[in-house]
Amino acid sequence: MSAEKSTGGLAAVDRYYQDYGSRAAELKKQGRQIIGYLCALTPVEIIAAAGLVPFRIKGDVNEPITKADTEMETIVCPLVRSCFDMALKGNYRFLDGIVIPHACDSICRTYDIWKYSLNLAYAHFVNMPHTTGDASLEFYKEVLKTFRDSLGKYAGREISDQALAQAIKLYNQNRAKVRELYGLRRSSPPLISGAELTRTLVAAVSLPVEEATVLIDSVIKEVKQRPALADKPARLMVVGAEVDDVAFIDLIEDSGAWVVADDLCPGNREFMTDVDTTADPIAGLAERYLRGVKCGRTYRERKGSYRDYLEDRFGHMGRMIKDFAVDGAVLYIYKYCDPFGFEVPQIKSYIESVGTPVLYVEDEYSMSTIGRLRTRVQAFLELLGSN
Amino acid sequence: MTEEKKPEERKKRRTATEAASKIGPMVKEAIGGTVRAREEGKPLAYTFIVCAYDEIIRAMDVVPVWTENYAGICGAKRDAQRFLERAESENFSRSLCTYALCGLGFDAWREELGEMPPEAPWGGQARPDMMLGSGQILCDPRNKWYQAAQHYMPDVPIYDVGLPWPLYESDYDYRDVQDYYVKYIVKELKGLVEFLEKHTGKKMDWARLEELVDLTDRTWDLIWEAYELRKAVPTPMGTGDAMNTMVPMVFMMGTQQAYDYYKDLYDELKVKIANKEGVIPDEKYRLIWGGGLPSWFALTDFNYFNSKGAVFPVETTYRMIEATYNFDMDLSKIKDPLEHIAWRWIKFWTYWHDKARKRPGSHPDVERLIKYIEDYKIDGIVMHEAFSCRTWHVGLIWQLNMLKKVYRDMPSLILESDIIDISSYNEADTRARIDAFIDTLQAVKSR
Repeated sequence: MSAEKSTGGLAAVDRYYQDYGSRAAELKKQGRQIIGYLCALTPVEIIAAAGLVPFRIKGDVNEPITKADTEMETIVCPLVRSCFDMALKGNYRFLDGIVIPHACDSICRTYDIWKYSLNLAYAHFVNMPHTTGDASLEFYKEVLKTFRDSLGKYAGREISDQALAQAIKLYNQNRAKVRELYGLRRSSPPLISGAELTRTLVAAVSLPVEEATVLIDSVIKEVKQRPALADKPARLMVVGAEVDDVAFIDLIEDSGAWVVADDLCPGNREFMTDVDTTADPIAGLAERYLRGVKCGRTYRERKGSYRDYLEDRFGHMGRMIKDFAVDGAVLYIYKYCDPFGFEVPQIKSYIESVGTPVLYVEDEYSMSTIGRLRTRVQAFLELLGSN
Repeated sequence: MTEEKKPEERKKRRTATEAASKIGPMVKEAIGGTVRAREEGKPLAYTFIVCAYDEIIRAMDVVPVWTENYAGICGAKRDAQRFLERAESENFSRSLCTYALCGLGFDAWREELGEMPPEAPWGGQARPDMMLGSGQILCDPRNKWYQAAQHYMPDVPIYDVGLPWPLYESDYDYRDVQDYYVKYIVKELKGLVEFLEKHTGKKMDWARLEELVDLTDRTWDLIWEAYELRKAVPTPMGTGDAMNTMVPMVFMMGTQQAYDYYKDLYDELKVKIANKEGVIPDEKYRLIWGGGLPSWFALTDFNYFNSKGAVFPVETTYRMIEATYNFDMDLSKIKDPLEHIAWRWIKFWTYWHDKARKRPGSHPDVERLIKYIEDYKIDGIVMHEAFSCRTWHVGLIWQLNMLKKVYRDMPSLILESDIIDISSYNEADTRARIDAFIDTLQAVKSR
């Protein structure tokens, strides 16, 4: 399949989503090197600037986790276990290397397991600090330089500032295109469903960035031209960690609501902030990944009152609720997820403080557990309907 | 409000050393001391173990409230469930760190009442004036727990210390990056000092800090020397006792009391060795506790092992020191106390890297196991997978697999339960698994 063939709107999205990794496998056959990564906190621009193809490793809620259990404890986040299980089962045979960022314990503490079990030609841990002060930013720049040097050696080419700037430009264009896609959900009914949008983003992170941008653009054009979606009585926002499968969003939309906003990865959290192109590229990347991506794994120092802190951490959710006319929010949190699990009371009370009801559900990243959430979602929608 | 539940009766564990038996009263006194300090208006800080700030808070006369310790005490007294349930009612998942859940449940309850929850173990956990978290390579709760606690105590400020270390990598050596790690940690520790000065109204006594840093170095060395004595056959002290003797190491570092405690332990072990007095008279199996925090409510399992002829001369858990004179640099030459702390931190966490580099396909965690297995004449490995903690309990299976691959296959047992959530524990099943493991050890020995 070629890049041109990937311009096929939602039909192409479905192909890439269903046959996840197919494009990376093709590129591998063409001689490109594929670097797998976990989490939105991997600075993919550096991988692209090295002339390598970044590929987001995903799990599969339909595939029971079996092989992973021989190497990885079941107390690890079920999404990470599923990703590892898929890798062990040979779904990502095309990978040449792996990059894992210091995201959460489930990702960080399994780095060695990934590295030694897959035994790929390249492995690197990007040690992102947990706090966002100036000292942390300076440290993180050094970490990124170490990564740049290491990957450059592997790729056999120096990763120049110019190459980085070009990659940053491409990823910023990609993010801008995603934001344009998100804008299609402001109307009522939205022009694109939540499941279609998430499927598009998941497909996109399996592609080289230029192809991903073309794909997203084709989806935008397609949905603008097609007949309007049906009206549904409720517009919801979904908040959680990484949701790389549309099963839960499908469940919500099958239950009588549109998902019109999110704070997820891949999703709004990952695409709302660009890298500053006027700065030194490493400085721009450090700033964006450490301070720009508002993820629960990063502790944002409090400046001012506790309410100020909540605004700094969760204010974007409040703005989305207003901008996208959200009727209710669903906190969709995986079992064993420390970064988001500890924030549930704060997020819940923050969202409720702006007048929006919240449903909190815990899931184990499996079709059997997702199915059990249907009754709770339906009850929540009834509650919204009665308000 | 969470309903009160009467704790199940706790069985007192039999210790082998006098030193271990002293710990209970010491901890009780320390916890009571924090409640009294609160009443006396002294500055109190919620603190985590192994955060490299021990000497700093001691030098600033800040009273540490070790929140993991209090949760562990609730667990050991089998009185954690009501606090865990309170946390759950606040929408915290029961799959999260149960130390944190216990603490958050306690805090939520105490803040609601405006006083300690009824019959709080050992007088309760005092309300802090500040909370000192940390961002490391492990343990998300270290930067999430206190953030979550602010939901109940929004007036209590947090300082989160960045304390990273380089992981073992094949594409570079840690020495290539150690300078910028140290530089960062020093800045973070300086920030901590400024934070403490602001919130206590007191200036750092740098001369005193230097003294405490030196005292800590000497305490590290002394602990290492005392623990090395456990190589003796029969071993004079097992892991069951080490789960007590770790208390000064992690909760009292930077105090003369900790140093004196380990001097007493050292002397006691020397006497026991001279008298050939072991944990048990007839050692059949020497085991390593190779990973995982213990179930604080079930420390008597160590006695059960002993009853089967098994002893634990060594453990990786809570052995959070190395002899500083074994580092690849002369730490005594680092005069600035914050730099000194930072270098000690980095050297501790990278200590086993060089050994791993020498054995193809190996890893520092595995090298540490191998070294202990050989030095302490170990026959088998026991680990514990606590469901609520990813920090110390992920990678255990992998380490055993790696050990088999780069060293040799050894009898191993991974127990499954939790650190303080007793609902995860089944004594009969646990002991049946221990029995089966002992049978395996016997079969291997008789080959």
